[in-house]
Amino acid sequence: MTGPDAALLAAQDDGALARAVAAAGDGAPWAEAELYRRFAPRVRLYGLRHLRDHEAANDLAQQVMLVVIERLRAGEVRDPGQIGSFVLGTSRMVAAGLRRTERRREHLRGRFVSDDRAAAPAESWALDARRLEPCLAAAHERERTILLLTYYAEKTAPEIAQALGMTPGAVRVARHRALSSMRECVEARRSA
Amino acid sequence: MDPTPACLSFGELSDYWTPDVSDADAARIESHVFECARCARLLEEAEQLRRGVGALAQAGRVAAIVTDSLLNQWAEDGVRVRSYVVAPGDSVHCSVWADDEVVVGRLRGDFTDVDAVESEMRFQSGELWARATDVPMAPGTHELLLAFPGDVIRRAPMGPLRVTLRAAAGPRQGALIGEYVFDHQGVHDRADS
Repeated sequence: MTGPDAALLAAQDDGALARAVAAAGDGAPWAEAELYRRFAPRVRLYGLRHLRDHEAANDLAQQVMLVVIERLRAGEVRDPGQIGSFVLGTSRMVAAGLRRTERRREHLRGRFVSDDRAAAPAESWALDARRLEPCLAAAHERERTILLLTYYAEKTAPEIAQALGMTPGAVRVARHRALSSMRECVEARRSA
Repeated sequence: MDPTPACLSFGELSDYWTPDVSDADAARIESHVFECARCARLLEEAEQLRRGVGALAQAGRVAAIVTDSLLNQWAEDGVRVRSYVVAPGDSVHCSVWADDEVVVGRLRGDFTDVDAVESEMRFQSGELWARATDVPMAPGTHELLLAFPGDVIRRAPMGPLRVTLRAAAGPRQGALIGEYVFDHQGVHDRADS
């Protein structure tokens, strides 16, 4: 069975795609693929925050989308029009299970395997870093330090405020300003 | 796809990747992002920035004013950091090794009543090498930590590099805090020694 062309597909809202899968059983691969394209990246981001591991986040995205599509095909999603909420709920449930598994794994890893935090980042990260380097160098001193303390040393705004003699609110404002400038800088370099 | 009426700002979305976001705010962001493709893209961009900044810092590829907590994180990650301590009016002989990833200058001084400083680094010729403005100073601070990537120092010419620190904000604004000299002796390789 063929699906609508790309423009028509892009114009369909999430609920319409979910209803198409639910109505067709396993006969709407085009709608399933589009749902996957739209939601798998969001599940991965959710996983990055809650599982704090790139591989685990990718696994989460695969598992969640598999469950979502199977439940849609089986007609087990009560309101396909609210598919975003269903995907988020499924992400929470599957991530909780993965965290339990990971805790057991960590227990064994702690006993038998050394943790190598100094491992070099994956090549795709390094490429991103190269593009970002001049933009970080161009940031104001104060903002650059705040970004390093936030994203590398993982310090909170109150901790950074104490270290730099600022208020936590001023740290947050400076961080937002720095990130917006960095985003514009990266965009400008991308289109240059 | 058009933004939904309750679209979040890039700043709000970027908070998702910080230790400051509360569980309630994180849940609010997640609920929105799973309904809004535009905000999902912005959240992804914010994550890429977070990841990139972290990767650059972990590789020591950033020149910045740093704190002890950043030095501790580098130590935890096995980053090779070489430090030189210098007091106002002093000169220190310094070298960089081939495998040094970060070189830190610890500039001691009296920072009482100084809220921010500015620094200038000049070669013996007077040529400006680096300048930092609006560097925040917390009360009770006794030193300023300047970090440079090892590669940058390895490429720097040998000879004296003079650093001047002045108060940029606070009751002593404009006052000289100190002049410091880093006398760059060159690059060493452990294989040569």
